[in-house]
Amino acid sequence: MLFDPHFIARLIPALLQGAEVTVELAILTFAICLIWGLIVALANSSRGPLSWIAGAYIQIVRNTPLLIQLYIVYFGLSMIGFGLSGFASGLLALCIQNGGYMAEIYRGGLQAVSLRQYEAGRALGMRRWTLYRTVIIPQVVARIIPPMTNQTISIIKDTSQVAAIAVMEMMKVAQVWVESSANTYDVFLGVAIIYLVLTSVASLGGKLFERRLAFAQ
Amino acid sequence: MKEFAPLLHGYWYLFRGAGMTLLMAATAVVPATLGGVLLALLQMFGNRFARSAVVAYLFVIRGIPLLVLLTFTYYLLPLTGIDLPPFWGVVVVLACYYAAFMSEVFRAGMLSLPRAQWDAARSLGMTRRLMLQIVIFPQALRLASPPFVSLCVSLVKATSLVSIVGLWELTMASREIVERTLAPFQIFLGAAAIYFCICYTLALYGKHLERRVLGGH
Repeated sequence: MLFDPHFIARLIPALLQGAEVTVELAILTFAICLIWGLIVALANSSRGPLSWIAGAYIQIVRNTPLLIQLYIVYFGLSMIGFGLSGFASGLLALCIQNGGYMAEIYRGGLQAVSLRQYEAGRALGMRRWTLYRTVIIPQVVARIIPPMTNQTISIIKDTSQVAAIAVMEMMKVAQVWVESSANTYDVFLGVAIIYLVLTSVASLGGKLFERRLAFAQ
Repeated sequence: MKEFAPLLHGYWYLFRGAGMTLLMAATAVVPATLGGVLLALLQMFGNRFARSAVVAYLFVIRGIPLLVLLTFTYYLLPLTGIDLPPFWGVVVVLACYYAAFMSEVFRAGMLSLPRAQWDAARSLGMTRRLMLQIVIFPQALRLASPPFVSLCVSLVKATSLVSIVGLWELTMASREIVERTLAPFQIFLGAAAIYFCICYTLALYGKHLERRVLGGH
């Protein structure tokens, strides 16, 4: 039966419990990749073998599916004795993949600031730190927020793939409920709405942050 | 060496899976592109009703994970009584999902043309159809080609998700072999290598197009 109120009353708490895991995964991935992506981007823009390694890392993770990376981490690592829990494997794979994307976002932001900005700052006699703090970093941050917001939305959606290694996040919860109840419409409507809320919150947060920065400048 | 004999058969099996992945991606990219152009045109030139319908469609599709849409279709299609072979089912879902992203790419391409191009075409008394056909489209498509190719990379990677709803392609093939050989590392890395070859080739082509677009200005 469609929109069975008793069913929905039991379904919603279960889905929200799954959503909690989804949100945890997404926030952790975002926080870790914010730092990991920056490290990779800086390594990539340095000179020497480190740059080559970072470049190869970026290309490899961006050009292979997350699902395969997930399987390598989950099944591969357990085969050689570094068995991780489903949640930890999922988090690791999400960070490996999104770190590559974040690094590219940082690179784009750094490249978009023209060399003249550095020269102008130096010509004014700014110290290196002052130059970065007052001239370069604000411009980079303003440029990377829109792509970062998109990446965050994509991270939230990517967490659904962790269902493939039986982590009880929202997608997996939904699958279990569909299979045990055959109430397909209600379950998927619920899941779709919760994902839409989560991605909308992320997109709204990005916009607010963007606007606050615009005022600050 | 003995341990590698079954793996060699496995790798051959992977190549056959890769053929299926390519077939699926190539079949889906055609309707996705046409749908993307249609959505972009409706959003730019449609009446108010068409515009808000497109905006709603983009909001929903871009806010929900592809995996949710695929699983939903998998459970739902038998209930609705539509008799569609699974291959065409996932092609339809992939096309609907990517059409939303394609439309953004094409719209951005058209919007990033200088206003003077539109004004010049209009001042020559061109009809809208002629203006789009000989002034706007040729230039907008050239501008949109690099992000279009990145979406193709994303589409190839996304086909891996259909293995979760039971379709046979590269990822499914690799899982089957892993179940038989218990060599997750070798097999999944092999699958990753094949994905990488396909996607990196596309990505390099995209880079090439990007240089040409930038060089043309």
